Amino acid sequence: MATLPGWVMLVVKFGGSLLAIFAIAWLVKRMGLGKGYERIRDEEHAIALAEEAEFGFGGVAADVDAAGYGAIVRNATGVMLLVRAHGNRFAARRIDAGFTARLDRNRLWLQSGERAFGSVELDFGGRASVIASRLRTVI
Amino acid sequence: MIPDLPKPVDIAVPLFVAAIVVEMWIVQRRNRAAYEPRDTLTSLILGFGNTVAGAMTAGAAGAVAMWTYEYRLVTIGWTWWAWITAFVAYDLSYYWAHRAGHRIRWFWASHVIHHSSQHYNLSTALRQTWTGFIGLSFIFSMPLFFLGFHPAMIAFCAGLNLIYQFWIHTEAIDRMPRWFEWMFNTPSHHRVHHATNPRYLDANYAGVFMLWDRMFGSFTPEDDVDPIRYGLVRQLGSFNILWAATHEWVGIARDLRRAPWQAKLGYIVMPPGWSHDGSRDTSDSIKARWRDREQPRGESRSPMPEAAE
Repeated sequence: MATLPGWVMLVVKFGGSLLAIFAIAWLVKRMGLGKGYERIRDEEHAIALAEEAEFGFGGVAADVDAAGYGAIVRNATGVMLLVRAHGNRFAARRIDAGFTARLDRNRLWLQSGERAFGSVELDFGGRASVIASRLRTVI
Repeated sequence: MIPDLPKPVDIAVPLFVAAIVVEMWIVQRRNRAAYEPRDTLTSLILGFGNTVAGAMTAGAAGAVAMWTYEYRLVTIGWTWWAWITAFVAYDLSYYWAHRAGHRIRWFWASHVIHHSSQHYNLSTALRQTWTGFIGLSFIFSMPLFFLGFHPAMIAFCAGLNLIYQFWIHTEAIDRMPRWFEWMFNTPSHHRVHHATNPRYLDANYAGVFMLWDRMFGSFTPEDDVDPIRYGLVRQLGSFNILWAATHEWVGIARDLRRAPWQAKLGYIVMPPGWSHDGSRDTSDSIKARWRDREQPRGESRSPMPEAAE
């Protein structure tokens, strides 16, 4: 039986793989997987998430975004940790001089120094200006 | 004569796809958050990239293997016992390659991609390296060629080993029978390996046989009182595919540029997180803090991470 040339086999192999990838990705959405995103419920939850992100961080206080999308957690030494949703999980970064922050009424826009980590816009209500002034000590 | 061996992974790909669909169906009923569409797509594309990168470097890796084989001590043939020995010997070499992949930053830079998902499902199994050849992990197989195992035989065993490791990337299976858990790598043991909880860091490196972890003191059992969180100690926080594949290499390059001359080598050969001024955390320092916190309280109900069962 004649076999197909190597390059055709390669195209079939890679083409088939790509097709399967997009079929599965479509199915994940179609089946509603990933739904029921967890959000930060309260200060205690934010502190627990900070501890999970950085063992021994020792958060003592937290400001939580109105939608529960993110939070800024402080420890006893004043170090601040930004916790934000990442898909249906959470990721965190220490707020340092590499960050950029902008205040727009009740909303605080934060950009980490890492391009891939990206930016986040958090609604802190009437506390936003107080939090912004606290951030000025490190940013 | 060298037999015409198929590529086991190529044959298994349709089974991988079918198994993922079955797991998705289970997850839809039990815990929809076990999957995340962007995470799954990232894992699958990274897996595809691994196939492409593998095809591009297969020739070079094969040439190195054949060159080593030229200097073999003895010629081990294609007998049945050679196959069994090769499978076990490759699994041992995999254990050490994998352990080095977590303890030496150069190797970690290549392997980290596999741990970069915060999810643990069958799609995570396909999240494989793009930089395996640069990562040099193949050097751990070279003693096998030098001993006299033919590279084609080892490549076949490596394929079987990889296929075995696919099914253990799931939360859908809790525990296997006791005898199986003792002897083989299982979803429970491998969940521990993917955990970021301090208790579980740097444990369970086995491919197929759990024996190696038990022998070399790296076995840690899953403890239901400490539910597992997956991913990296410092989560990526990004679904960017290129960044997932290369971020640790970028980190090494940045550190090498900034570090004083006498410290540069450390950023390549020391464990991930090592820094010359001690300003960063390694898995050892995190675990030490965890022990300090847990032991006085007497809260740890399981053996310490290093303690073999």
